[in-house]
Amino acid sequence: MKFTPKQLDGNVNVSSTHPLIELLWLLGGLALLVGLFFFIFGATTDWAVARTPIKVETWIGELALDEFPSKENPPLEKRLQALLDKLPADSVLHQYKFRVFLVDSDEVNAIALPGGNIVVYSGLLKILTSENELAMVLAHELGHFAHRDHLRSLGRGLGLAVVTTLLFGEGSSASSLVSKTLLTFQAQYSQTQEAAADRFGLDLLVKRYGHAGGATDLFASLAKNPGEKFPYLLASHPHPEERISALIQQIKDKNYLVKNTLPWKHNIIPR
Amino acid sequence: MIMTNVNTVPGKKIVEHFGIVQGSTVRAKHVGRDFMASLKNLVGGELKGYTELLQDSRKEAMQRMEEQARQMGANAVVNIRFATSSVAQGAAELFAYGTAVRVE
Amino acid sequence: MFLQNFNLIIFIVLIILGYSAGSLAEKRHYRSIIKRERQLLKMAVVTAEGSFPPGHVKSSTLVSGSAVISIDYFKRLLAILRNIFGGRVKSYESLIDRARREAILRMKESARKQGADMVINMRLETSTIGRNANRRNSVGSVEAIAYGTAIIRNN
Repeated sequence: MKFTPKQLDGNVNVSSTHPLIELLWLLGGLALLVGLFFFIFGATTDWAVARTPIKVETWIGELALDEFPSKENPPLEKRLQALLDKLPADSVLHQYKFRVFLVDSDEVNAIALPGGNIVVYSGLLKILTSENELAMVLAHELGHFAHRDHLRSLGRGLGLAVVTTLLFGEGSSASSLVSKTLLTFQAQYSQTQEAAADRFGLDLLVKRYGHAGGATDLFASLAKNPGEKFPYLLASHPHPEERISALIQQIKDKNYLVKNTLPWKHNIIPR
Repeated sequence: MIMTNVNTVPGKKIVEHFGIVQGSTVRAKHVGRDFMASLKNLVGGELKGYTELLQDSRKEAMQRMEEQARQMGANAVVNIRFATSSVAQGAAELFAYGTAVRVE
Repeated sequence: MFLQNFNLIIFIVLIILGYSAGSLAEKRHYRSIIKRERQLLKMAVVTAEGSFPPGHVKSSTLVSGSAVISIDYFKRLLAILRNIFGGRVKSYESLIDRARREAILRMKESARKQGADMVINMRLETSTIGRNANRRNSVGSVEAIAYGTAIIRNN
């Protein structure tokens, strides 16, 4: 029997698609899919949040509060009450029982926790220069509650986590890839939430003091060492300079006055 | 193209042989099929989605092997064997190999 | 926040590394495979059992060749994406092809060393080695083993 070997040129067993093009297609498809799910969960969550009573949020809030070692702070709560008094009577914020806690730490931060609890870090108080600045911070946190931001982001994040686990099983590499894609969408959504809280905070500040002085002061001190704009793509808050320009634009649009701020009374930090 | 899995083509004579030809394909199932399969785990029955997947894989592997044999100038492939293995999470590889020959 | 960024950057760096190093290694391997296939073209390999007239065969022996080829990070990413959408996992095709052709070449080499000019009844097996392919962070690798009977003829 004759043997006729032949060296073949092509390779039938390997597809000719360039791997980078395939990667582009697949990543595009993934981004589309995750974006679609995010949108659907977003719409569902927004619909559900409007119908969720405050009691549910308070219950979640009690669980979150255990994480923070803190004490209730009456001087801060008095300032918060001054803001609340300026709200219209039908505002959902009147249904909350607000408590303000002070945490002894050098961190410059203030957090709104579900259920009406606000935590302020003493590091933040140390760099404040006026009563108006403090009011702006508290009003910004009130904005999160007014928009029910906690439930919204909870619904979006949880919903997608449940679907991913259902489809891929727990801890598979596919689910970690999907959650990486999810990060981008969540970060952008968080930034829009923060910007909305800024707008609410400015309006409430003006109602309290009659003018918008002090609104941008805190961001200005943060903006002194802001770092590059790039890390803020995936950050939960917008870049401080962006927040300042957004506030200035709002002041211009609504014709708010800007007057001198009140120096603040240092009776808050217990000695 | 004649395909057999015995040493010869019954009834014909092999006049020339060209060596090994192989065809393989790696296919992954997608999450839709996975989901339906996990539901089927509750009630039992044939997993039609996976059956289809394997049939398509087998067809494609044999097509590739046939193509390689044709490029060599053969008109039959004898002594074909199949093998399958799982090479990636959720993907199975199926491959077929045989000897390309010319029969008369 | 910066921790998230850091993880993402590491991820991207690993992918770029996997892609560049991986395609380089693959091209080099294919060149070597094609060169050796050309050299060993004269050795006949069949999957059939041969029949030989009496007196023609001096001796016969089992020969085998095997190879384990590892995956790179880029291919793994493509495989995971394919697992979501389904379809042909093209990144693995070249991996398996290389492993099998390499195994056959090594088997042929082993037969040539023994003075044979033909290998009959060749069989090919493929499997995955390394960490369990179903677990998270698994390193996939493909093993191929080719074995057959080498025929050393009387001249």
